[in-house]
Amino acid sequence: MAFNKIKPPISLSILILFGLILLLLQLMSSATQESSELSAMYSWLLLVNALGSVVLLGLVGANIYSLARQLKKREAGSRLTTRMVSLFVVLALAPAVIVFYFSMQFLHQGIDSWFNVEIDRAMEDALELSQASLDQRMRWHLRQTQQLAGRLADSPETLVTLEMENLRELSGASEMTLFSRQGRIIASSSINPGDILPSLPDEHIWLQLRRNTEFVALAPVREDELMIRVIVTVKTREPQYLQALYPVPVRIADLADSVEFAFVRYQEMNFLRDSLKLSFSLTLSLVLLMSLLAAIWVAFISIRNIIAPVKALVKGTQAVASGHYDQELPVIAQDDLGFLVESFNEMTHRIARASDETRMAGIEVENQRAYLETILANLTAGVISFDTVYKIRTANQAAYRIFHVHVNQFVGRTLLELMQSYAELAEPLKSIQRLVEQADDIWQQRIAFLGANGRQELLCRGTPLFSQEGHRVGAVVVFDDVTDLIQAQKNAAWGEVARRLAHEIKNPLTPIQLSAERLQHKLADKLSDVDAGMLQRSTATIVQQVEAMKEMVDDFSEYAKPSKKQTVDIDLPGLVQEVLALYVLKSGVKFKADYDMGLLKIKGDPVSIRQVLHNLIKNALEASGDKGLIEISLHRVQKNSTDFIEIALYDDGPGIKDEQIERIFEPYVTTKAKGTGLGLAIVKKIIEEHGGAIWVDTSRRVGAGFIIQLPACNF
Amino acid sequence: MLKKIFLSVGLCGILLLLPAFGFAEGFGVEVKNAEFVLHGDSYVLSADMDYRLSDRAKDALQNGVPLYWDMHIKALQHRDYFWDKTLVSAVIRYRIQYHALLNMYRVRNEGSGAVSNFSTLSAALDSMSTLRNYRVMDKADYVPGESYAVGIKVTLDRDALPLPLRPVAYTNPQWYLSSDWTLWPLTK
Repeated sequence: MAFNKIKPPISLSILILFGLILLLLQLMSSATQESSELSAMYSWLLLVNALGSVVLLGLVGANIYSLARQLKKREAGSRLTTRMVSLFVVLALAPAVIVFYFSMQFLHQGIDSWFNVEIDRAMEDALELSQASLDQRMRWHLRQTQQLAGRLADSPETLVTLEMENLRELSGASEMTLFSRQGRIIASSSINPGDILPSLPDEHIWLQLRRNTEFVALAPVREDELMIRVIVTVKTREPQYLQALYPVPVRIADLADSVEFAFVRYQEMNFLRDSLKLSFSLTLSLVLLMSLLAAIWVAFISIRNIIAPVKALVKGTQAVASGHYDQELPVIAQDDLGFLVESFNEMTHRIARASDETRMAGIEVENQRAYLETILANLTAGVISFDTVYKIRTANQAAYRIFHVHVNQFVGRTLLELMQSYAELAEPLKSIQRLVEQADDIWQQRIAFLGANGRQELLCRGTPLFSQEGHRVGAVVVFDDVTDLIQAQKNAAWGEVARRLAHEIKNPLTPIQLSAERLQHKLADKLSDVDAGMLQRSTATIVQQVEAMKEMVDDFSEYAKPSKKQTVDIDLPGLVQEVLALYVLKSGVKFKADYDMGLLKIKGDPVSIRQVLHNLIKNALEASGDKGLIEISLHRVQKNSTDFIEIALYDDGPGIKDEQIERIFEPYVTTKAKGTGLGLAIVKKIIEEHGGAIWVDTSRRVGAGFIIQLPACNF
Repeated sequence: MLKKIFLSVGLCGILLLLPAFGFAEGFGVEVKNAEFVLHGDSYVLSADMDYRLSDRAKDALQNGVPLYWDMHIKALQHRDYFWDKTLVSAVIRYRIQYHALLNMYRVRNEGSGAVSNFSTLSAALDSMSTLRNYRVMDKADYVPGESYAVGIKVTLDRDALPLPLRPVAYTNPQWYLSSDWTLWPLTK
């Protein structure tokens, strides 16, 4: 951040860069003008510009390389950068290349158009004309000098100097010199008296002179002055050379000079034509290359700057997507992107807040759910909920307790599946399943079954669950183990009956009996024997029946009062043996006993259990008559992972009718001519009080069979 | 006689660099021999050079392009601990140009302004190729015990060429006409 503050604004740097490039290019372009002072720097400028291009190329290359790496790494924003840069390069390149192409075309055609055959010829002709004009003048001066030489040859030797002065003035020569054959100056005359030393011909001229006897040539005296140098042989006794220097008229010299200058210039340009094209092309190419490269580089920088917030946004979005909502992106510019970044920040704030709220709500709901679950778990009633296909969704602890099935066996299975694993639960589960499937409203049903702890009675209430649209989404069943409750109710009811019987029936019996005995006692003496005998029999019957009634009432109160007075460990084989011993001696019935090996013990009240055995054996004896077979067996069985002792008792009597089987254990139901009908009811009551069960073994075809199961006592 | 007055010094060309490959092609400037002697109170330099122009250079000259030649002369005092001290550094600049009207080659000494015309190119080049008794340093400047060196080098001033020709001149070997430094140690 601090670094960014120190850095000059990027736009300023770019401006400076462009200014520099423009300056360089302008300098180079100015240097192209021959007359410019910068001309001398042209090569340097060219080199600097080329170096600048190389540096820019390097920068662009580095940028492309880094972009390629980012692309390879699939970094955020790299693809957008690539697209923007490509677009920019194409947009910048296309017009630049087109302009470049046409510029080159124009340049080449323009340069070529300077030169053509006509101008070529005209130039050459002009030069030739100048040369011809000068030639003519030279020839004329040669002739003139030859004449002068002739006159000089005629003049006496002593007057040569004087004659020459005359001749010089006559001919208009600026200087006239007479050389000996060896090159020695014999006489000299000059228009300028100050010139003591005449202009001397050089060795080349001497060489030419010896070959040709005469010499004529243009001699540039000084830089801008032309002379015609004529040397002829003076035919005297000893050959001499006369040199005359004629000035070329200034006007002609100027014209010749001008023609020559133009010709040379043209010639030079013609010669440089290709170089000119090359150098212009080079300059143009450099300008194009440099400005393009600079533009691309700047494009890279600016696009990177533009993309930076987008990049940050992408990263921020990824972070938000992966669940980090605490994203705060820096707002760099107050433009649309800045607005976007601000909006993003606001969005993340809101998301963070919303997610916090959601989490809080989730925690709240979870707490609520846990609370409800705690309540459900601690309910004594079992609660099972089903989904649409009657699979168990939830079940509370009480449900497991009631069914004695482990928690993880329950959930996710249907009741029918459970049935296969727990055969002893088949009956209640089947009933519940049927009720759940069929019920369209709240239902209630009492279901009894033989569970792990003996007979159990459930009070089931269920209701189908409906969604708000009215679709059936499952069901819930609540059930209570009402075994104890019902037992208590029954006991209470029978106790009340017994109490009333004792009170209402037994109380009047004693006065009845006493009154009958009193009648007998008072009237026996006063009646005749016949009448007395009849009275005797009648009172005896009354007393007898009252006795019987008393006995019946006693039996009943016996049934009504709780039998499980004290619980001790009872060794069943011993007890059975003990009871059987009483009957073996009395009757002619055969007994067959069959015991399992090992401990066969239960917890219970020995008196009550003995009574159970007595009642059952009595029934059997009565059913099988004098000669019969009574089988009794004791087995240890396992049911719902609980040990039971099973007592089976069979006789070979007439058996029990099917219609009676259902009600045989209820009070006052009997098949016997005499009897209170309480025997089996008491048996059942005692067995149930001991947590056991008794039922009629219907599989037995001969005689009657009872099966008792009592929870075994484990040590 | 002269040898008694002139204290001859060893002539030994030390080439700092191999001459440009122009020489292999048969063009370029070569310093053929040089003499550095005491003449009166001064040490003077005499040298002969050989100018051989490449075809392109001849072509350019023929088409009116003036060629500028710089003859660099320098005297160095050797220092063990530092780079050599330059005592004298002089440049003699010549211009050679073809005159179409006169069909002549004109050589001009840019320093003195002396102009000479030659009808042939070789004559013109010859006029530039001799250096006679160029006064380099005074006898008084000579400190016995120190070692000195004198160098000569001829360069074609490519920056004086017409502008369009310059990029070519810097890239085309035909224009690599300059000689390298030829140095002689000056010892007593």
